[in-house]
Amino acid sequence: MYFSLIRGKKVSDNNKTGLLNTMQDRLRVPWRGGAKQVAFDSILPVIILPSMLLLGSISLWWTVFSFTTVAIFLSLIFNFLIKTIPNTKFFFVWTVTSMVLLYFIFEFIVIPFLEILVEENILLSALIFGFIICLYTTKIRANELTSLGTEECESSVGKEVGGFYNCRICDNKIPDKDHHCVWFDCCISKHNQCCFIAALFFAIAALLYSSNLTLTSVCHPFEFYKTILLPDDCSDVYYQFELALSFVSAIYSIAIAILLTVILLQQIFLVSIGMSLKEWNKLSIISKLCLGLNTKRIHNRGFLKNWSKIICWNKYQYHPLNREV
Amino acid sequence: MITRCVRIICALVICVAVYFPARHARHYEYIPLKKVIQELTFVDGTPHSENHLRNCSYEDLILKSKEVPVSDITKPKKFELPLRGGEYIPRQCNSIIKTAIVVPYRNRSEQLQIFLNYMHSFLQQQSIHYKLFVVEQNNSLPFNRAQMINYGASVAISLNYPCLVLHDVDLIPLSTGNIYACSERPRHMSSSLDTFRYNLPYLTLFGGAIAILSQQYEEVNGMSNLFFGWGGEDDDFYTRLISHNLFPYRFDPEISRYSMLFHRKQPKNEERYETLKKSLKENKNDGLNNLHRKYYIVQEDLFTRIVVF
Repeated sequence: MYFSLIRGKKVSDNNKTGLLNTMQDRLRVPWRGGAKQVAFDSILPVIILPSMLLLGSISLWWTVFSFTTVAIFLSLIFNFLIKTIPNTKFFFVWTVTSMVLLYFIFEFIVIPFLEILVEENILLSALIFGFIICLYTTKIRANELTSLGTEECESSVGKEVGGFYNCRICDNKIPDKDHHCVWFDCCISKHNQCCFIAALFFAIAALLYSSNLTLTSVCHPFEFYKTILLPDDCSDVYYQFELALSFVSAIYSIAIAILLTVILLQQIFLVSIGMSLKEWNKLSIISKLCLGLNTKRIHNRGFLKNWSKIICWNKYQYHPLNREV
Repeated sequence: MITRCVRIICALVICVAVYFPARHARHYEYIPLKKVIQELTFVDGTPHSENHLRNCSYEDLILKSKEVPVSDITKPKKFELPLRGGEYIPRQCNSIIKTAIVVPYRNRSEQLQIFLNYMHSFLQQQSIHYKLFVVEQNNSLPFNRAQMINYGASVAISLNYPCLVLHDVDLIPLSTGNIYACSERPRHMSSSLDTFRYNLPYLTLFGGAIAILSQQYEEVNGMSNLFFGWGGEDDDFYTRLISHNLFPYRFDPEISRYSMLFHRKQPKNEERYETLKKSLKENKNDGLNNLHRKYYIVQEDLFTRIVVF
C-alpha cells in the first residue's frame, strides 16, 4: 500500500479495509479484565465535537472556521466510512455525543445564569425524554426484523409486504425498507417509520426550544408579539467564555434542527406520495422536479392509506415462510 | 434488589441536582395591581396648594397601565421643559408625590441622552413633582455606584425630597403605570428586566431601580462606599435593609417591566464577596456619614449634575 501511494496509483479497496482493520485492532483502552478494543471510528466524535465547540468559543471567526471544517470533514468521511466499514458506529456515537454535550452545556452553563424558570427546564427535559423514547422504540422495532434471520418472511392475513430489500449495512433483507439511517444506526421501514418521524419531531422541538432559551439568556432579548422571547443583540457574547460556549452550542443546535427539519419534511412528503427513499433516489431529475407524481408508484395506495400503513399502533406480524405447506 | 435501589437513589439525586429551584430564575411574591395604590406614601399639600388645585389622582394611571414598545424608547419625545436643574412641578393638579431620581453616572453620554429624553416624558405623564440628579464620578478609580448614589441622596435629602428613586442610567421603564413614588417599604422596581428574560434571577436581587423613603435611607446610613467596580453593593444594601427590619418588596410584574439599553458588559469585581463580608461589619461608620466634601453641583437644563472628585 505504501508503494502504491509513492507511485501515485489508486489504493485498492481491500488494502484500504485492511489498513482500517489494523488501526482498529491496535486501538485499545484499559478496562477491567484487560485492554478492551475500541473502534477507531467510534472514538472520533467524542474528540471532534468538544474540540469544535471549544474552538468556536474563541471568536466569531473561529466559530465559522470550526463549523465549516467539521462540516467539510463530515461530508468527506460520510461515504468513505459507509463503504469501508459498513457497520460503523461513528454516526450513532456522533448523535449520542451531540445530545449529551448539548444537554450538559445547557444544564451546567446556561441554567446557572439564573434566567430560566424551573418549568421551562422541565418542559425541555420532557421533549428530550420523548425523543429518547422514540429513538429507543425505533431501534427495538428494527431489531425485531433482523432477528427473523435470513429466511424470507410472510405477512399476516390481509397485509401485503411491499417487497424485501437487502440492507448491506444490516446484512439482512428488510421488508418494506425505506432507508438505513446511519445516525440512529438502524433501518427504517414501514415497521418503525412512525417512531422515526416522531423522534425527528421531538428532536427538532427540543433543539429549537433549548437554543431559544440559551440565546435569550446570553443575548439581549425582545418580545415578539408580546409572547415569544427572541434574541436581538448577540454582539458581546464572545467577551466571556461561558457566554461564548453557550452561544456556540445554541448555533450548533439550530444547525442540527434545520437539517432534521429537512429530513422530516422529506419523510412526510415521501409517505404522502407512497414512495420509499430508495425509490425516490432512483428517480430521474425530471421526475423529482415533478415531485414524483408522473412516475408509476407501485406501492402508492392513496394519501390516507399510505399514512395508515405506518401508524404507530399497527404491529406487523412477520412469520417465516412455511415451505412444507 | 440492591442494584435497583442504587439506580433509584441515583435518579433521585440527579433530579434534585438538575431541577432544584435555586438553580433557576424565581417566581416571587408581589403586590397585585389593585393594591398598589394602597402601598404608596404621599406628602401633604405643597406650598402650591394656595392655587386651590385639587390633588392629583394616581389610581387610573396605575390600573390602566399600558406597555411602551421597546422600539419607541429612542424616538424623540415631547415634554414640557422642566425648571432649571431638571425639576418639574405639575400645573394641572396639586402633586402629592415628590420624588428625587438619583442616577449614578460616568461616560455614558449616549445613554444619558436617551434616558433624559424618555424619562421626562414618562414622568410628566404621571403628574408627579420630581427632580433628576445625575451624579458623575470624575476620578480614575473604578466606578463606585453606591458612593455616587450616596452623594445624590444626601443632596436630595438636604432639599427636602421625601422620596428617593435610585436609578441606573441604562434602565428604561416600559409600563406607564410604574409610578415613581415611594411605598411603605423599600421597593425593587426593576424586577422584570428584559436582559434577564423578564425573570428574577434570585429573590434577594436588589439592583437596577429602587424606590425608598429618604427617612428609611438615612435610617440605614445609606449604601456602603467600599464597593469599587461591578457588583456586590446592592447585595450589601439589601442586607442593611433587612437588618433594620425594612423588608423590600416588589409590585406586579405588569408594572415592573424594564428594558436595558445596550452596553458592553463590565468586568466583574472579583473582590466583591470579600468586600461584602467586610462592609457588613462597618455599616454604622460607612455610608452617608463618611462622605467627603469634594464635589460640586451644576444646574443643567434637564437635570442637576453633581460632580464628585
